[in-house]
Amino acid sequence: MTVHYICVLLLALVAQPPVNPDAKVLSDFKDRVDQYVEVRKKADDAAPPLKKTDDPADIRMAQQGLAERIRAARAGAKRGDIFTPEITAHFRRLLRPEAREPGTKALIKDDNPGAIPFKVNAQYPEKEPLSTVPPNVLASLPKLPKDIEYRFVDKHLILRDARANLIIDFIPNAIS
Amino acid sequence: MQSGQRLEAARPPSHLRCFGEPRRRSHGTLASAARKARATRVMPALALFVTAIAVVGAQDITLPNAADSLKVAIIGDSGTGSSSQNRVAERLMAVRQKFPYEFVLMMGDNLYGGSSPADFAKKFENPYKPLLDSGLKFYATLGNHDNPNERYYKGFNMKGERYYTFKPKGNVRFFSLDSNYMDKPQLEWLEKELAASGSDWKICFFHHPIYSSGGTHGSDMQLREQLEPLFLKYGVDAVFSGHEHFYERIKPQKGIYYFISGGAAKLREGDVERSELTAKAFDTGYHFMLVEFGKDTLHFQVISDQAKTVDSGSLPRFSDEDKKKFATTPSAR
Repeated sequence: MTVHYICVLLLALVAQPPVNPDAKVLSDFKDRVDQYVEVRKKADDAAPPLKKTDDPADIRMAQQGLAERIRAARAGAKRGDIFTPEITAHFRRLLRPEAREPGTKALIKDDNPGAIPFKVNAQYPEKEPLSTVPPNVLASLPKLPKDIEYRFVDKHLILRDARANLIIDFIPNAIS
Repeated sequence: MQSGQRLEAARPPSHLRCFGEPRRRSHGTLASAARKARATRVMPALALFVTAIAVVGAQDITLPNAADSLKVAIIGDSGTGSSSQNRVAERLMAVRQKFPYEFVLMMGDNLYGGSSPADFAKKFENPYKPLLDSGLKFYATLGNHDNPNERYYKGFNMKGERYYTFKPKGNVRFFSLDSNYMDKPQLEWLEKELAASGSDWKICFFHHPIYSSGGTHGSDMQLREQLEPLFLKYGVDAVFSGHEHFYERIKPQKGIYYFISGGAAKLREGDVERSELTAKAFDTGYHFMLVEFGKDTLHFQVISDQAKTVDSGSLPRFSDEDKKKFATTPSAR
């Protein structure tokens, strides 16, 4: 009887569909981004939402207020919180063929602010341009929730909160 | 000496001082009004407006200026707060006396170097104050130098979105796209909106040109790969962009007219590498565009900061049958 159970168990294990390691990494990435979105939602709820306004000071205040609340909630945030080594390796694999496409690197370089100082949980340097992210690169990367975006600073891929103008995390030398 | 000092003290901020004495001398009453407004420092914007009318009122308009058409002005890469921006703004204001455009399209890079309240004032609200005060609307698209949160600014009429569509009147619909970040949701939105649009004219505008003879940037091929199939499928008629700091009218591509207008405050002199794409280019001065949409014709006039018409013409709308034929021809580079 015991042997029978062991056989059934073994058969069940063998019959299980194989776990796609990429899917696991992507699922992990999604979970981490979702956790960030939860933090932002709480930060959002703590103040009136930003509405269309005639006064640019309102926009600035809302952006900075949101950034401050998120920064406080993520006080210990550091590089790798979202882009873990596994996720980083996977993203580099996704980016490699796209970066080889003719014109892609040139486009990334075109509007790129270049080698500027930046860090996790800090504002994206306000006076700097935002790099264009070519559509083929965007199509290759996992989809993000609204107002969270990929951008490049030099060769580094950053994850940016567009509404708070905040750097969430980054992958150094994501494209070579 | 004392008199000179008084005059210096009475001058408005440098970004509002764009015209020299000789020009003012040649326009009696209006010029005097402008001088008075400047000297009192009470209403610098009024001074700018009056000066603009006095100096550039004589601009020839080559457009039909028909009563029932849609009239639009276009500026690109305008947000520097420099004397060049102000000079173009003055021309823009002056020309409205003769060609009453109903709104202004902005091709992106609306605010260079930051988006603080002071930036909004210096690079948008002050230069165009008389136009804004008159109730004229500006519709912006985002450039690579723009903070995406500009979408919340009412003066840019972006509906709080990075990309949006509007139909001001009659038979023309506009689609403003965020070419900095052409992701799947935006492409899906564009397809849905284009498909639902029953307008005769479908006009797209966004920052990065997909056809360009610019030496510095050139055609954005990746963007073209994504957008052109949709433009062809749903019959887009004309596309306006900026980014390149010059003017270029592209030869029609597969039944679509392409214009680049990115020189309303920035200039990259000599950057046009005239190619098989080029129908007409202007890279030796600042400029803005006037466009008039008739029933089946797009009329345009491009005016430099020196009040010279650098390009003008009338372009017939391609029929749906023609567009279907064009859709199968290969693209130029």
